[in-house]
Amino acid sequence: MKDIIRVKSLLSTDVETLLNQQIKKEALSSSIYLSMASWCGRNGYDFSSDYFFKQAEEERVHQLKFYKYVLDMGGMAISPEVTNIKLEYNSFREVFEEALDQEISVTQSIKNIAARCHKEQDYVTLEFLNWFFKEQREEEYKARRALELFDVIGEEGTGRWQIDKNVGQIVYTEG
Amino acid sequence: MQNTAIASPIHFEEVFSTKKGSIYQSDSENCWYIDFAGKLARFDYRNLLKLKKAVYNIDIENILLTSDKSADVEIIFICACDHCYVLSLLQIIALKELLQGTFVMLDLNHIIQDRLFRLVV
Repeated sequence: MKDIIRVKSLLSTDVETLLNQQIKKEALSSSIYLSMASWCGRNGYDFSSDYFFKQAEEERVHQLKFYKYVLDMGGMAISPEVTNIKLEYNSFREVFEEALDQEISVTQSIKNIAARCHKEQDYVTLEFLNWFFKEQREEEYKARRALELFDVIGEEGTGRWQIDKNVGQIVYTEG
Repeated sequence: MQNTAIASPIHFEEVFSTKKGSIYQSDSENCWYIDFAGKLARFDYRNLLKLKKAVYNIDIENILLTSDKSADVEIIFICACDHCYVLSLLQIIALKELLQGTFVMLDLNHIIQDRLFRLVV
């Protein structure tokens, strides 16, 4: 008897479901960053607003990478619905705290897919995920560094203005 | 000259069957035939997965426990598929059992193909 399902798709149902969840997560991240860009812009933090615009675009690129992979491997990529995006933040610092939380949760969720791939010996998807692991190194570094600026510079006086100016200059260089 | 061409019969292989129904695979057509609820319906790869999802998503426990007077009938309609099932609760349970068994057998077939045939040079 032919193994029709394997002929049609490289992905197992479980991995395909996880990848579709990840597509949704990346879309959600992108929307959250866009909302953060709006909040920063509204409150006079223009450099941070630009920073979040860029982040939103990056997350969108990640989403499309996952999307295309699922499609190319014969799976069904699902365009996600994104709702309940937060509009208001209590403070400038809170925005960056949530940005870091978001990145940590993305890393965790990719790790979860990799764990499943190991279990199924799906080395093809595992190799695809490697690019994202490297990317998460940079994303987490940037988010953590931005938050660090609040401690290093301090929020008193013109502190927030300084922090805002420096956020746009954060770059990650691999050691 | 006499025309001797005869359409070759479609070869079915049983994947799984219960008392209530059976699922067969056709290697030549790359599809499955589901013999259930009094009809034989053809499902391709996409539609079989959609059917599985539709049936697995029915909350059987909820229908059992609900005390309202609505009929215990579910309509399983699959987008871009010619077939539609109108099933009672008992039939849904039977179809779910049939599909579960089928996917276990298809998984088993996949493992056998992977371990025995695909590794042989």
